[in-house]
Amino acid sequence: MTSKLREVPKYAFLSIVALLSVGPLYFMVVSATNTSQDVLASSMLPGTNLLANWQSLTEFQDVGAAMYHSTVNAVLTTVLALVVSSIAGYGFEVYHSPNKDRLMWVLMLAMMIPFAATMIPLFQLFADLGMVNSAFAVVLPVIATPLLILLFRQSARSFPHEIIEAARMDGLKEFSIFWKMFVPTMRPTYAAAAVITFMAAWNNFLWPKVILVNSDYQTMPMLISNFTGGYVIDYGALMLAVLIASLPTIVIFFVLQRSFVAGFTGVVK
Amino acid sequence: MTPVVVPDRTPKKKSKGPKIKPSPAARRRSLTGWAFLLPAAVLIGIMMFWPMFQALILSFKTGRGSALDFADPLWFNYERMLSDEIFKMTVGTTLLYLAIQVPLMLVTALVLANILNNPRLKFKGFWRTAIFLPAAISLVSYSLVFRTIFATDGLVNDWLLALHLIDGPVNWLGNTDTARMVIILGLLWRWTGYNMIFYLAGLQNIDPTTLEAAKMDGAGPIRTFFSVTVPQLKPMILLTVIMSTNGTLQLFDESFNLTRGGPANTTMTMSHYLYEVSFVNNPNFGYGAALSYVILVMVAILAAIQMKVGDKRD
Amino acid sequence: MKKLRTGMALAATATFALSLAACSSGGSTDDASGGASGDGEAMGNSLTVWAWDPAFNIYALQEAEKVYQADHPDFTLDIQEVTWEDLQTKLTTLAQSQEFGELPDIFLMQNNAFQKNVINYPDLFTDITDSGVAFDEFPEGVTAYSTVDGMNYGVPFDAGTAINAMRTDILEEAGLTLDDFTDITWDEYIALGEQVLEKTGKPMLSGIAGEPDTILMMLQSAGQSLFDDQGNPTITDNAALAASIDLYSEMVEKGIYLEVNSWDEYIASIVNGNVASTINGVWISGSIQTAEDQSGLWGVTDLPAVDGIDGATHYSANGGSSWAVSSNADVALAEDFLSATFAGSTELYDTILPGAGAVANWLPAGDSEVYSEPQEFFGGQAIYADVLSFAAGVPANNTGAYYYEARDAVGAAITQIMGGADPATALGEAQSTVEFAMN
Repeated sequence: MTSKLREVPKYAFLSIVALLSVGPLYFMVVSATNTSQDVLASSMLPGTNLLANWQSLTEFQDVGAAMYHSTVNAVLTTVLALVVSSIAGYGFEVYHSPNKDRLMWVLMLAMMIPFAATMIPLFQLFADLGMVNSAFAVVLPVIATPLLILLFRQSARSFPHEIIEAARMDGLKEFSIFWKMFVPTMRPTYAAAAVITFMAAWNNFLWPKVILVNSDYQTMPMLISNFTGGYVIDYGALMLAVLIASLPTIVIFFVLQRSFVAGFTGVVK
Repeated sequence: MTPVVVPDRTPKKKSKGPKIKPSPAARRRSLTGWAFLLPAAVLIGIMMFWPMFQALILSFKTGRGSALDFADPLWFNYERMLSDEIFKMTVGTTLLYLAIQVPLMLVTALVLANILNNPRLKFKGFWRTAIFLPAAISLVSYSLVFRTIFATDGLVNDWLLALHLIDGPVNWLGNTDTARMVIILGLLWRWTGYNMIFYLAGLQNIDPTTLEAAKMDGAGPIRTFFSVTVPQLKPMILLTVIMSTNGTLQLFDESFNLTRGGPANTTMTMSHYLYEVSFVNNPNFGYGAALSYVILVMVAILAAIQMKVGDKRD
Repeated sequence: MKKLRTGMALAATATFALSLAACSSGGSTDDASGGASGDGEAMGNSLTVWAWDPAFNIYALQEAEKVYQADHPDFTLDIQEVTWEDLQTKLTTLAQSQEFGELPDIFLMQNNAFQKNVINYPDLFTDITDSGVAFDEFPEGVTAYSTVDGMNYGVPFDAGTAINAMRTDILEEAGLTLDDFTDITWDEYIALGEQVLEKTGKPMLSGIAGEPDTILMMLQSAGQSLFDDQGNPTITDNAALAASIDLYSEMVEKGIYLEVNSWDEYIASIVNGNVASTINGVWISGSIQTAEDQSGLWGVTDLPAVDGIDGATHYSANGGSSWAVSSNADVALAEDFLSATFAGSTELYDTILPGAGAVANWLPAGDSEVYSEPQEFFGGQAIYADVLSFAAGVPANNTGAYYYEARDAVGAAITQIMGGADPATALGEAQSTVEFAMN
């Protein structure tokens, strides 16, 4: 009984935090069903304008194409980034040496400069390669990121080295140790990495906007930006677009958060 | 629980003792290690360091538009910042955001992650998703919502007036101090759940037997948290500290979308100013590149201190 | 076994994603520059255009395409939607990296940014002075935006002509009519505004705090700019600017002018009926008309004149945009297209005025009957004919290349003045901020 009572403040705290977090989402959902005028009046009640908002959203914008391009970019980025960065992070930690620590430090410098400064030389590079408007040009600069490498390096620190040694004794090749031991154990880390990478790729705006010169390849954030660029902003339709654009990240998180269960039990048999 | 000594983990001190040739197996392993790093290092080299090198050269040039020449003296752009009142203000503002927001956010995230990691907690998936939601919501709707509720006739004033906490409506976004506070609240709201997932992931790698051992020793939940959980989460805490320091010093979204830098540029961040200099105002890319390098150096110094303190292997 | 399956799934996903990417990017590099073929070649029959706002600019382009197709059946326009902010970023990136091959044939440009772009990046543009476009058929104040060193770089399109749009029902409540606000000065306006506030509790105007739009419209109506003819900033020692700021402060203090914090709140104050009027470019009528419940309750008149300034008028402008021909264009076709449509087709303007509320800058279009048709939303007033008569009287505004710096600096100064700072000191600081940006 007493232990039950002790739980109350915890749930109360969680409820308050959750309420604050969900509030704006609620506003977004409700606004997607309201007229522009009602959105501006901050109406908190659902309206009946959902269909009209959908029509005005699709009247000028190809939502399907934008969702498709965003999905391709985000999925491609996430898969490649997880592979490339986790291998590197594992390498930095498991085979660490002073030189590798130094290299890690140097690589981290790359995330410390604002993108606005490197964007133009990067554009020039891809233009010289004839890769303007290509999905690869969108993805290539973001698959090896110092942040993800650091994430896997830090996670690998809690990966028991006994396992590696034992596997070596069993004659397992180095890459097999990574693939068969590390990857499955680190499922929670991969889940976290997948969420943040997908989210970053999905919301990435400045670079896709610049490298995808032809707007036939536009992504969801670009579509939303178009919505706010006119003289008359239809806030109801805008909120519907924003709602649609937010869903994939939410779904991905909801699915992957199940992986946040102890990874140890699976390996140490 | 006896740790197995891994040969190539012991750092070799060159000065002490005779030089020992590493065994062929160890050398091969070291090479394998380098091979693991190679794809990422090459990509970062081409995609990031090459443009960074060009930006560095650019930072020594002056001129408008695309007609740029080397400055005389070469450090002209860097010297120019010293008399740039707006830039100096953005440095102060950004550091203020950093000092207040990062500690608050990371502590909250750590507490939340610890609560949500309790296996007996009910509706775990719901809580986690709800708290992560702010990070997933599009910036457009988030800034609209924040501007609306903090408007002079908005929800926040309505509530505070109803509770008799204020006498008249506060112009939250119109005054420097309160506008900065709104930006900090926005950052906390948007990024706490995001940082929480790193801790959640990190908590899964903690050996549960250590927690049980602490319990057996009679340690309460709070002591266990500080003496067992936090030390083991240290690598992840270091990651989030570096990440949020970097993110805050390069902060752009909130400044650009919530307040447009106002009132009178007092909420503007360094990156927002950099964007104005490059893409809104009369373009001055040499100066913009120099500003970027100042931001880089600031992040690098802070990150170096954080690495020095937090990246020790025991 | 399970691990193997995970691995295979991962590999399959990667392959799938890669092949998707290959499909979506296949061949795209070739048509990247759209219809932009090099100079000197024979005229093609397709043009690529960058513009924003599907309900306004892009709609106008589609109608222009139809008009041009009447004589050129094979002609097509490839219209790429890009917001102004994004368009500026793209132009800057292309110019800065010297990749002019990716430019479209024609792009739309904000009038306020025209000088800045031509002066910094002349390589982006084609000089169209001798294109056959009759520039003298546009108001001089409007072609001035896109004229640099006597050469024309733009065909004016969207008029930024300022209107004073008023809620006639609210005025009536205060015992006033639209006529009481026509051809008056700001001093008279403030007196009437106090009457309205007292009787109805509603302020006259709203605007974004720290954004100097209202003040800059006053300044332009008085025939002055933030820069002189040599391009030097004239923020200090500018009687018209000082007078405008005084009037603005007085209105805010008296509660006649409601300061809000964002564009959303500004629009909300209008469509939710919290203010009695608004003063802005004629394009604001689009937003006003989203408040369908206010149909018939609006009227339009000219602006008050700034008191005590020689040459002060009742006319001004805010915003507006012009078409530019890029340096990568099929120049002959682009010039012919623009001359035959935006600078030569009454039919086009007759279609897009009722269709999108797009008011012409091209003077001959005003002779059309469409302009004198009564507008139901505006209580049957033929507002577009009125707007055209305002347009002819708008004094030129010298934006120079540093317009945005000056605008921001003045905005910051106004915030400080409203916070109690001495106007002369605050404006002095603004002047030195702009001078700093220029060195």
